[in-house]
Amino acid sequence: MTREFNRRVFLARSASVAAGTAAAAALPATAFASPAAGGPDAGAASLAGGKKVTVPDVDVRPEARQDPTEATVAEAVTLLRHRKLSAVELVEAHLRRIATFDSVYQAFNAVTADAAREQARAADRHPGGVLSGIPLCVKDNYYTAGVVTTANSFIFENFVPPYDATSVARLKAAGGIVVGKGQMGPLATTRATTPNGTVTTVNAWTPGDPSVDPGGSSTGPACSVAGRMACSSIGTQTGGSIVLPSNQQNLTGLKPTMGRTSVYGVIPLSYTRDHSGPLARDALDAAIMLSVLAGPDQNDPRTLGLPAVPDLVTSALPVRRGKKVVLRRATTIGVPPDYLTGVGADVLALRHGFLDQLASIPGAKIVNVGYPDDWGLLTDTFNNVRLSERTEPFLPYLRQDPKLFGVSLLSWLQGLFLSGDEWITGQRAKNHLLRELLDGVMSGCDVLLQTGPVPFDILGLPELALPIGFAPVGSDPKVPVGTILGGAPYEEDRLLEVAAAYQAVTSWHTERPADPVVAAPLSRAAVTGPPRLTPEQAAATSA
Amino acid sequence: MAIDPSSLTTDQLNTFIVARLAVSGIDLNLLPTTADPVTGAPTQAQVLSSLRSFVLKTPTAINGWRPVPATTTDADALSQELSPPLEYPSITEAWTGREGR
Repeated sequence: MTREFNRRVFLARSASVAAGTAAAAALPATAFASPAAGGPDAGAASLAGGKKVTVPDVDVRPEARQDPTEATVAEAVTLLRHRKLSAVELVEAHLRRIATFDSVYQAFNAVTADAAREQARAADRHPGGVLSGIPLCVKDNYYTAGVVTTANSFIFENFVPPYDATSVARLKAAGGIVVGKGQMGPLATTRATTPNGTVTTVNAWTPGDPSVDPGGSSTGPACSVAGRMACSSIGTQTGGSIVLPSNQQNLTGLKPTMGRTSVYGVIPLSYTRDHSGPLARDALDAAIMLSVLAGPDQNDPRTLGLPAVPDLVTSALPVRRGKKVVLRRATTIGVPPDYLTGVGADVLALRHGFLDQLASIPGAKIVNVGYPDDWGLLTDTFNNVRLSERTEPFLPYLRQDPKLFGVSLLSWLQGLFLSGDEWITGQRAKNHLLRELLDGVMSGCDVLLQTGPVPFDILGLPELALPIGFAPVGSDPKVPVGTILGGAPYEEDRLLEVAAAYQAVTSWHTERPADPVVAAPLSRAAVTGPPRLTPEQAAATSA
Repeated sequence: MAIDPSSLTTDQLNTFIVARLAVSGIDLNLLPTTADPVTGAPTQAQVLSSLRSFVLKTPTAINGWRPVPATTTDADALSQELSPPLEYPSITEAWTGREGR
């Protein structure tokens, strides 16, 4: 089992370190990234220090050959490598869509077009790392050196970070080109709004109807990729903020295990639950992005001393036996009691179809699993334990002027009304819930289907969101439907294996939304929908 | 016997809330008394209403939970030995290298 392997590697490395030997020398060359050097250039140093991510050539779909904004990262890398496309052409194509359509989508807080063009020209002259020339969107709570980082909050409206977040530094070191900062829920709480709660980013599949949930809080990154204004993106997740917008906008999102990626240089929401990860077009792209992001960072102690990053790219490549797609490893997928209840007929049919499709893939086994009696309490009410964590780092701003929090204020104040002993009880409950999950619910399965992100958020376990079809929502005939796979600690590779096999036999993930009508913003006033969130709604839907 | 927080009056809760905010240096009076569309911030009344509801429900539900030992004899004592707090459960899982499931 992978966890057993992880333990052996972990202990082997511990022994090597104790003996004063170079850990990396005692282990497989691919098993460890070099420890990041301290300081703001940690990401670049780490990537330059030995972590090598490679992407094989892939079959490029005709759509991507005709329009580079259709391409996945892997397709774009393939086209660039074979000089069928230049970085300038790729970046310009995405910038054109931003210029044409972002007045409707409102996916970006800032567009760094000039810098992106300059970097694209440089990438064509001297191709660099695995992401060389790839246009990316970065959520606006990641520090970006010299570029305003607002987190859509009054608090940070003029904040220009002095350095890049480790994740941003690693993307850049791999050659990635940041075309802009993605809109988000204020301070990473809700769907994207201005600080006063006015809805901004729409769902790329329903650009004329802002009432359709685009998912939050990484709304802009999701919309930028779905709307073909960036090839891929990174978001953050504390309470569903990667997997939910991915599900809502037909993307593959991967929230890794706590510590797998650094959150140094990310404006905090909840220290024990903040994760950095990709919102991508398919499993392979998610794997490429996570491979660049993952690994130890001396600036984030949560990333140190953990199991090695496996070969995620290989995990995300489908395996074929003859012409038949098979799972890379035999995998048992658990279906919990609430997976096939409590949803409408359309979504229920899609979930049944998803299970049938999975079951038809050799190596996949579907089993029903049960929840313990206290599951609801520990994953619902106990979710509030996180609130103290958002209050603490923001106390100076609460003292200065609570209005700085705009529509999002209430949950920051709620955190003050949980005492220290209640916070400790919450941490005990995490331990209890972890054992219930790993030793109970998942004792007979490798991967667990989820109807929401919370349990795996609370426990810091990995989860992957992927598209499983489309269903009508209100008057909108085609809105993406996704599902969430949860995994055991540091088993992102297992999740990618399942997603890669499923995506090799389905095509939901290759569908793109139609271009919006650019005049749509003028007609928004006539559309019935939630133009603003109230403080109570913001608190109730907060990540 | 434990006291039921639902017996607290609105005035008592409001006094507690204002005092707790003040203990942390937060002045409720900095918030508007009528809706403020510019900032979107809640009014003072909205804050008090929201926090009263939170105080009556959430802490009680959390502090009412304890891991349940196998025997009911000396349950409170035995419960103390169960589920020590873990801030980062997944990281601890790696550090302790628990095998199998």
